[in-house]
Amino acid sequence: MSPGGPLRLAAVVAGLGVVWCGGLPWIGRCAAVARHVAEMESREVNPSAMVYTELERLPVRPRWVETRVILWP
Amino acid sequence: MPDARLPTPRPGLPEDMVATIVGAALVALALAVTWSARPPENAASRAAWPKGWPTPLSRTIDKPQTWADDPLAALHDKQGRSVAVPIILGGAWVVAVAVAGAALGGRTAVGVLPGAVGLAGLAASAYLLAAQKVIHFYNLEYPLWALLLGILIGNVVGVPAWLRRALAGEYLIKTGLVVFGAEVLFSRLLELGLPGLLTSWVVTPVVLVVTYWVGVHLLRIPSKALCMVVSADMSVCGVSAAIATGAACRARKEELSLAIGLSLFFTVIMMVAMPPVIEWLGLDPVVGGAWIGGTIDATGAVVAAGESLGKEAGEVAATVKMIQNSMIGIIAFAVAVYWAGWVDRATGPRRDSLLAEAWGRFPRFILGFLAASLVCSWLFSRSPEFALWIDGSTTGFTSRLRGWLFCAGFVCMGLETNFRELAPVLASGRPLALYVGGQCLNLALSLAMASLTFGWLFRKGVEP
Repeated sequence: MSPGGPLRLAAVVAGLGVVWCGGLPWIGRCAAVARHVAEMESREVNPSAMVYTELERLPVRPRWVETRVILWP
Repeated sequence: MPDARLPTPRPGLPEDMVATIVGAALVALALAVTWSARPPENAASRAAWPKGWPTPLSRTIDKPQTWADDPLAALHDKQGRSVAVPIILGGAWVVAVAVAGAALGGRTAVGVLPGAVGLAGLAASAYLLAAQKVIHFYNLEYPLWALLLGILIGNVVGVPAWLRRALAGEYLIKTGLVVFGAEVLFSRLLELGLPGLLTSWVVTPVVLVVTYWVGVHLLRIPSKALCMVVSADMSVCGVSAAIATGAACRARKEELSLAIGLSLFFTVIMMVAMPPVIEWLGLDPVVGGAWIGGTIDATGAVVAAGESLGKEAGEVAATVKMIQNSMIGIIAFAVAVYWAGWVDRATGPRRDSLLAEAWGRFPRFILGFLAASLVCSWLFSRSPEFALWIDGSTTGFTSRLRGWLFCAGFVCMGLETNFRELAPVLASGRPLALYVGGQCLNLALSLAMASLTFGWLFRKGVEP
């Protein structure tokens, strides 16, 4: 680490702290964002899931696939 | 003359083989522990175990939970229970994998240990940043913050020597991909019957190939690997596809970072914009769900957007995306074969037969990834009981471990990333044009195929 490293590290941590503990909570209280967050929470949706195994509920095969899919015509 | 005080380096295994061995051992551990703790009753009941059998290994790994104002809230789950110990143990898994990799690779495990602990700490910090509710519910996934944290530290502070010794981003990502193989189940490809197969299997490869071709031949982007990674993350399933294909075509760290950044940026826009557009167009919710599933990159964002159109649309959207998730193995394998056989061949003189040369360049860990996928797919399809076994092993352990390994891998990549190398390409705007053009094609073809299959050919079948 360079001589001024610890000071710069403290500045980076402080910057992240201000944005994450001040800026983002403030944005989260804006009506549209708060509504989106509340809606996602009430539906138990995890929008940050990268793959289906990270979802709150595994996707289920819709019932009509097994019973009612018919080939055209 | 060599310094007699320095220890003689031990001969180690190649990185791909180490990643395959460690990854396969972790998948085997997950399967063995989950099987040994299988429930005595209702072992084949999906209603009793919707996410598969509970596994004791889930108590050894977790990540920071969502928080709004107070970061300390990340240490408690929704029920108010402390998850501090599983979070610390999650970091310990990263340390164990890094140390095992160093030992098998011929390096001293003790020398890597302090850096591996630091790396696990940075990965936990990236998870903490990603868990803030605004970030989390707008789908700005942890790879972005892991990269950002690494870039900030690498460029502003500098990487200390003790941390540098543990930087093994490619190894961690390759190991994570082998573990990820357990989640890529071919058996899931048929979940939506023929309409789902047509929507995913016809559109996705066409968009992937056309976008790659446009990037290389029309936009003339100098790096073919960048074209492939951008095409894959846009046409298949976002970050996970970018990671798998990036490893298969040996994309540079900066290229993978750029592709992931593009994918996450457009995912947020599409997650918010597509539901109102579908309502404005007056599309059938099932067709709209299939369209969303086929076009939005990230799985979580697909569910978020699909469910805002209704339960049925959400189900269809999630399942179409799950089918695309299951295609990653085949696509990564195909890309690795194409790269080893054709792309790399053009850049070097031929010394051996085509097959021998291609095999020499082939990324071996892809075989570990594919083997994990094939074994778990075979087990999954054997019986409902076995399906719950695989689901429990993956949702309870391997998916969490894969997340930690990817997160630590992205921190390493951020620490080593030099964006100056990509500056000329970025300034040209061509990667952005490639993503936007490819996504427009994806939107058009997916809408056409979703309307054709879910809205017309199989309409009687899909009416609930």
